Amino acid sequence: MSAILEVRDLRVRYSAGKEVLKGINFTVRSDDFLAIIGPSGSGKSTLIRCVNRLVEPNAGEILFEGRDLLRLGESEMRAARRNIGMIFQEFNLIERLSVIDNVLTGRLGYTGTWRSLFRAYTRDDIRNAIRLLDRVGLIEHLDKRADQLSGGQRQRVGIARALIQDPKMLLVDEPTSSLDPKIAREVMGLIREIAREFGVPVLCNIHDVNLALEYCTRVIGLQDGIKRFDGAPAEIDKRVLADIYAMETL
Amino acid sequence: MRAGAADLTAYDLHADQISAWRNRSRRMRYGTYFMVAALIAWSVEAIVIGDTDWDRISWASMFKSARQFMDVDFSILGSLLTPAIETALMATLGTLLGLVLAVPVAWLGAANISPLGKSSYAFGRALMTMSRSVHELVWALIFVAAVGLGALAGVLAMGIRSIGFISKTVAEAIEDVNPGPVEAMRAVGANRFQVLLFGILPQVIPVFIGNVIFEWDVNIRRSTIMGLVGAGGLGLALHRQMSAYNYGGVATVLLVILLLIIAGEIASYLARRAVI
Repeated sequence: MSAILEVRDLRVRYSAGKEVLKGINFTVRSDDFLAIIGPSGSGKSTLIRCVNRLVEPNAGEILFEGRDLLRLGESEMRAARRNIGMIFQEFNLIERLSVIDNVLTGRLGYTGTWRSLFRAYTRDDIRNAIRLLDRVGLIEHLDKRADQLSGGQRQRVGIARALIQDPKMLLVDEPTSSLDPKIAREVMGLIREIAREFGVPVLCNIHDVNLALEYCTRVIGLQDGIKRFDGAPAEIDKRVLADIYAMETL
Repeated sequence: MRAGAADLTAYDLHADQISAWRNRSRRMRYGTYFMVAALIAWSVEAIVIGDTDWDRISWASMFKSARQFMDVDFSILGSLLTPAIETALMATLGTLLGLVLAVPVAWLGAANISPLGKSSYAFGRALMTMSRSVHELVWALIFVAAVGLGALAGVLAMGIRSIGFISKTVAEAIEDVNPGPVEAMRAVGANRFQVLLFGILPQVIPVFIGNVIFEWDVNIRRSTIMGLVGAGGLGLALHRQMSAYNYGGVATVLLVILLLIIAGEIASYLARRAVI
């Protein structure tokens, strides 16, 4: 399978001078469900935010479908972001908007400024939003305000919002940390099903190693801004985990 | 375990230090009280005792003045209807003007979204301070000079005076928004305006509406005195009755102002309950 994303020698330094990512290399192939695991502060969240440049890297290359995203200007980058859906730990919904309006914000990148002022989305977009809400099991909550939903339901809205972008890849940032264990498994299962159904690769930060091993096809282990592991879940044993989580130092 | 003798001495020493320090701070406190009391006494002497014409004031004169205001002159009540409506409308239009102008000022004065960074932020904050630090009557005087006597000057004065409070509170709400939705909107490829519209605006709308209602309530009060400097409304009627030494009429106008303010209070309470 061909690589859809190739990250080369990625480095991020925050203004305080601390280097968060110290030269990361990896690829995402078009059928991957790739998990990034590692202790808190290892740079997982920064890494995933570099891919769509919510965080600006200091050096390196991010080749998405062969094009280096770090060389794009502001409007080109906006256009590129339309192809990269993102799902967040805290869902990041717009609380005061209805469920369907939240899903439709996923189309903002395709909607002109003037039309978005009046939320005048196309008929196709609206039909698509309804279809996706049906797919994630929220069709009867379509008109509710987002803040009336439970955590698991909100994350489903977040998934529908990412899908309506018609993405070529999904970035998923700790999708289950705000959910209880049962709902967390449902959400991970839904993301996996949807990734297969829509044929999109997934790059997923996850601190829960067991969930990573169960749902993902490949794992990257990050520690203190350095990649310590890259391989199949089956290759991960106690020694690998001890290395990633630096448990010998405890 | 019991503490050893050496420890006990150390505790005694520490306790002595603390009580010595407390005695010192008590003396400081009484000294401060004395200085504040002396300052107040001196202010009263300089401003009230020395500066008042005591020969004019007697129990009889005070009683006579109060008596004059008691003769409420209801004959002018009919002529106060139009100014009362004008007062309420002036306050409403002034608030609307203020809210429209406050939007760009809040945008400039919110550190996290100010379009040109620190320079436009400083400019926005300067506009807020300017609007708030000039008294509404002074703004009214300025606009009476600019556009002439009448309600328009009052509307402009209150509009400009309202910018400060509304834009300051909204700018602070913008600085405090949850960054999550903003991040989500950037991630879907929204442009800057769309990020403002969907990521930030829904979060600050309740603060914005709440403070506009509050400012409207305040503007009703301001509006009642605008006429004192010729900017229309009940203040003008008040001024006329005062000039004519018709204290009963002054009392009538004050009663109408009171009624209007109570009505405004009720209306803003209802509006707040409906919106929030």
